[in-house]
Formats: sequence, C-alpha cells, structure tokens
Amino acid sequence: MSRISLAFKSFFAILFGNGLPDDVAKAFGYSKEAATPRPVPKPQIEIRSTDGAIQILSLLQRDSRLIDFLMEDITAYSDDQVGAAVRNLHGQSQQSLSRYVTLRPVIDGVEGVSTRVPAADPAAIKLLGNVPADGKASQGILRHKGWRVEKVELPKLTPSQATILAPAEIEIE
Amino acid sequence: MAYIIGIDLGTTNCGLAYADANAPDPLTPAPVNLFAIPQLVNPGEVREEPLLPSFLYIPGPNDFPAGSLTLPWNAKLSAIVGQLAQKRGSENAGRLVSSAKSWLSYSGVDRTSPILPIAAPDGVPKISPVAASKAYLEHLRFAWNQKMPDAPFNRQSVLITVPASFDAVARELTQQAAEQAGYTNIILLEEPQAAFYAWIERNPDWRQKVQVGDLILVVDIGGGTTDFTLIAVTEEAGQLKLDRSAVGEHILLGGDNMDLALARTVELQLAEKNIKLDAMQLNALWQQCRIAKEKILDPESQKDEQPITILGRGTGLVGGTIKAKLTRADLENVLRDGFFPKVSSEDLPQTRKRVALQEIGLPYAADPAITRHLARFLKLQASAQPTHILFNGGVLRANLIRNRILETLNSWLDKPVVPLEGEDLMHAVSRGAAYYGQARQGKGVRIRGGVSRTYYVGIETSLPAVPGVPAPMKALTVAQFGMEEGTKIDFPNREFGLIVGEPAEFRFFCSATRKNDAPGEMLEQVGDDLEEISPVEVTLPADGNAGQVIRVALESEVTETGVLQLWCVAKDGRRWKLEFNVRERVAA
Repeated sequence: MSRISLAFKSFFAILFGNGLPDDVAKAFGYSKEAATPRPVPKPQIEIRSTDGAIQILSLLQRDSRLIDFLMEDITAYSDDQVGAAVRNLHGQSQQSLSRYVTLRPVIDGVEGVSTRVPAADPAAIKLLGNVPADGKASQGILRHKGWRVEKVELPKLTPSQATILAPAEIEIE
Repeated sequence: MAYIIGIDLGTTNCGLAYADANAPDPLTPAPVNLFAIPQLVNPGEVREEPLLPSFLYIPGPNDFPAGSLTLPWNAKLSAIVGQLAQKRGSENAGRLVSSAKSWLSYSGVDRTSPILPIAAPDGVPKISPVAASKAYLEHLRFAWNQKMPDAPFNRQSVLITVPASFDAVARELTQQAAEQAGYTNIILLEEPQAAFYAWIERNPDWRQKVQVGDLILVVDIGGGTTDFTLIAVTEEAGQLKLDRSAVGEHILLGGDNMDLALARTVELQLAEKNIKLDAMQLNALWQQCRIAKEKILDPESQKDEQPITILGRGTGLVGGTIKAKLTRADLENVLRDGFFPKVSSEDLPQTRKRVALQEIGLPYAADPAITRHLARFLKLQASAQPTHILFNGGVLRANLIRNRILETLNSWLDKPVVPLEGEDLMHAVSRGAAYYGQARQGKGVRIRGGVSRTYYVGIETSLPAVPGVPAPMKALTVAQFGMEEGTKIDFPNREFGLIVGEPAEFRFFCSATRKNDAPGEMLEQVGDDLEEISPVEVTLPADGNAGQVIRVALESEVTETGVLQLWCVAKDGRRWKLEFNVRERVAA
C-alpha cells in the first residue's frame, strides 16, 4: 500500500471507525492482536450521527475525488501514474480538509526531540518503549505530534443529500 | 455616509473595496479595505470569497437539490452568481452567462434584449447583458447590507469602474444596470485611472516618484480586455496635477485568452499521443494550465516545468489520469512571443476582413499581439513618449511578460521608461475606486479626465436626392475629448425641426483619435477615424398637437457621474433627453 493511501485510510478509520483495519495495522508493522487491547482514542468532537461522517466523505469526494481514489484498485498502475494522480488529489484534499476541519498537533513540538510528558490522558498521549510500571514518565522523545480536531465547520445539510456521497453523472450528447 | 465603496465590475471577477468616509484627518485618505463577498460556492454552502466570479447560471428544474440555493438574503434564487454558477456552468454551458461585460460594450447586438446565454437550448430563459450585470451588482449590494447592517448600501457613496475604452453607450448601460440593481447614487471611473489611484494610495510619497512633464502609460490587462491610458503630470499654481491625456480603443483580449491558448497547446501535445479530451476535461485543463502558468511565472519560482494532470473521468481516477506538462519554453512561445512579440513601433495590429454573415459572438481582437496594439495606441497619440509605466492585472505579475513589454517599448523610445513599483496587481481597481471616492471629497489628488472620446452627431447634408446614392453625411462635434464631468455645451446655431409624436433619430459617432475637434465644429465627411455607435433617438410628446414642428437645438452634458447625455432644447426651455437606441443593429 502506498504511504498516502495508507495515511488516508488510517485517518478515516480512526476518525469514524473502530480502529485500524487489519491491512493497515499489518502495513504499520504491528499485529491487530496487539492493537486491540489499547483504548481506542476517542475523537475530541462527538459525531452525533452518521450524517456528519457521510457529509465529510462527500465533501472530500466532491472537492478532491478522494473516495474514487480509495475505492479504486491501483495495484496495476505504475508509481508514476499513481504519483501524478495523487499530487493533484493531495492538494485538493488538503485544501478541502483544512477548510472544514481545523487540525492542530496534540503536542506542538519537534519530532525526534526530547519532550516533557504532559498529564496522563490515554486518549491524547500514548507512551511507547520502556514505559515504567506505573505508566508515568516525565520525559521522552516525541515520536508523533498527534492530531487534535480543534473545530469542525460543516455546511448545513439538505435532507436529500443524506446518503449520497457523489451523484451519478450522465452526459447528454 | 459612513463609507466609500469601490466596485470593480470585471469580465471574469467582481471585487469590492471600501474606505471610511469620515477619516479623522481630512487631508489624508483613509486606508482601503477589501470586502469578502459571501456567495454560494457549492449547493447549500455559502462562503465568503475575496472575489465574486462574474458568472451567472440559470438553474433548471433538476439542477440542484431542493432548498440548496439559498443566500442569507434570498431563500429562493432564480439565478445564481459567483463560484457555484461558474462551477456548475462548466458542466452545463447552455445555462451559463459569462463575459456579460464584453457583451455590454458590443454594439453588434441589442444589449437590452434577452440574448444570453448565446448557446442556450430552446426553453432556457435568457437574459440581457444589462440584466446579467445588474445581477452581479445586486448581489454585491445585498452582500454589503447583510454584512454591514448599520451602514445601508444606498447611503454610501458608490463608485463603479469601467474600461477606459467603454464608449458613451456602454457607460450608459452600466449605469442602467446599476440603477436596476437598486443603486441610487453611483459614479463611474475608468479602470486604468483606478489602478493609478491605487498606486498613489499605496505610495504616499508618490510626488517624489514623478515630476512635472512626466507621462505615465498605464497598461491594464484584465481577464477579458486590455486597456491603455496615458496620464500626464502637469503643474498648476505650484501643485502637481494629473491629466488623463489619452485612452486606447476597446480591445477584447485578456488573461483568459492567454490561459486558453496554453490549454490549446497542451491539448495539441496530447492529440499527438492520440489522447482526446472531452469538454469537461478541456475545462479542467484550462484551470490546470492557469495554475501551472502561475507556478512557473511566480517571481520566486525556479521551476522550468510543471506537471499537468487531468484526472480520469468516472470512478477510475488513477487509471484514467492523463499526464502532460507545461514548460517555461511553452510559456515563452505561447505567451511571450504569441501575445507580446517584439515588434517595431510601426508594426500595427492586423485586422481580419469581416465576412458579411458572421456568427453571432463577441468581436474578439483579430490580432492577439498586445505589443502591436500598444504600438498603434502610441502612434495614434502622435508617437507619445511615456516616461513611466504602471502595470495592472494578474497577467502582469509575470516578469517574463513585464520584461518583454518594457524591452519592446524601450526599443521605440528615446529614453527607457521607469516602471512604477509597488502596485497591487489583483485588487488595484476596486481599491483605487475607493481612493478616488475620497479624492472627490478633497482628500487626495484627482486625475482630470473627462469624456474619453470625441463624439459626433451625424447630419445629412441637404442635397437633391440622387437615386441609389445615400445622402452624404456630415458630423457635428457634440463633445470633445476631455469634456469634464458636470459641464454642458449647447449649439444654438444648429437647429432642427422635430415633428411632435414622431421618433427622430440621429446617427452617432465617436473617435478615440480626433482629440482636437472643438464642440460645434462640423466635419464635412465621416472618415475612417470615426466609429459609428448606436444611434440616439427622441420622441417629443404630442400633447394633442400632432404634426406640429418644434425647433430645437442640441445640448451635450457630461453628468457628475461621468455619463455623456444629449438633449434637445426648445426655445422656451423645454428639454428632452436623447436616448441611445441599442436595439438598432450597427454594422460592426
């Protein structure tokens, strides 16, 4: 799996789903068994119903055709071909995502550098490596800054849009 | 009045800027702000954007989900303007109105009758170029009122910019569109002048940068039009004065044409590989070329090529992806050498012979070489020697193009021109309009302009009629180039007998080059340097005296708003305004 599709898949799986799918977990190099006991990080913002999830998917599809990309079997295509498409799609997805969802790192630091461990909150801070028995540490190397949703600003929905991610397109000759 | 509002009613984008009308220091103009314009960007989604794309879409019965076309000030729109209109219009061009401004200045069609979209299938309601312009202006008024509820739009002073090359009829129609949009007091301002005001606004020390005797050439390349203007720096009572001393002819050629030319180049590259693009993909290609061009031409950029990717249609996105690239060499060939070739000052634009039966469409410039149009412009101004140059328009952000213009221009001049730095290429026009609004109140300097052409009324000579030969036409000068706003001229020695109750029509001409014909002067012949525009007509009310003849004299007036009007005045002081008859087709 390419890094980009991996990143997208994981992002949505964590945001809306029940943790990482098997293939993603495998690609990351840890097994599903190891992943399950850990508490699933809760999203900061309560998604009240599936409407919001469908809507954000439909926005990303509309602005960047992300669903087309994720649902396509790309195994047969050369890296070159995939790269060209992704470059286009990446910019548009990023623009669209940042327009509707404001993301901030959980810890605004430099990855790979020593950092202070803030108050324990398993949803926001995950300790890795030689974690002491009491699960507390004051210092460690920041490996991943984490992501926090600061604000979600979605356009108002109209009822007919409820289950359609993207309309079928028919060109009249 | 709390604010001065400047509106750039553009061919492809509209902008709005405003300034505080009651700045604390009466002599220093207040800073100018840009107004973000709320608009539908997707069905059901209203967002503020810096510009309002000048596109209008007439929605069909099944175009959008119910309830998704709602603006904060209008729950049920009959036409959409702005980004959504542009987006949806690219998918269904039969309901899209674009370039309304170019149509507004085209005398080959009746600009007040519903003709747009020109390619609409039968059954699609059409609108006139005036009504489309009205829709953009109305949107801006409502948007303002929604965001600034404490400062109602109609209580502010509003300026609308028009190309300097707009003739009296196009200006009058712009004013009509504004009135129909519910504007109560507007002033028209020429775009290149607005660009110069914006430069003054951004350079408070401008008096150190120009001096008496300087001649500033403004080159304004918009999305759809190219406009040239000369501004002379003079002196009066020890103060620097600015005179707009010349404006160019109307050239329908702009940045959009250049992007389209780039798209065609890439399309040809693809055609060689047997890849055919459909209409939607061509549209995507057009957008991609514009973005790639901007990336390569960005002054900071070192890139020599930029990939162009057209994603596959349908759900097969990666599989159907078409790859191409745009290189710096392409830009040099197509943009620099195609639109700005190095030419001599004697190299004038080529004119295409018009065929009698022309498909109805905009009269785009026959010669895409802007440098040739510039050569013609300067030649018509007695080979003027500008000392400075001010650029305006997004196209001119590219050094590639600026340098070519400078290089070409300098090869014609005795002394190289100095480019005026520190301009705002994208928003100068609306900014400058807001500055001018303040200048009119005495805060800031004003450019003296007046009417941008010399205008003539055609008078048939009274010779015995010869069958088959039209009576020769003389032309009476009714307004001279530079006639200032708020002035009137009458012609008591030229009286006409008008029959009440019957329409009387006068042919109407203008010239961008004959600047020395004084009002009242009669040209014995209508030559090639006069361009016929829409006729003017008047019907004197009969009041029960049908058949009576009233002797009237003509009077010309340039209103405070910058619009030329012609009046018939009777001995007893009664006045009737001559209206432009835009229904009449004029041979283009």
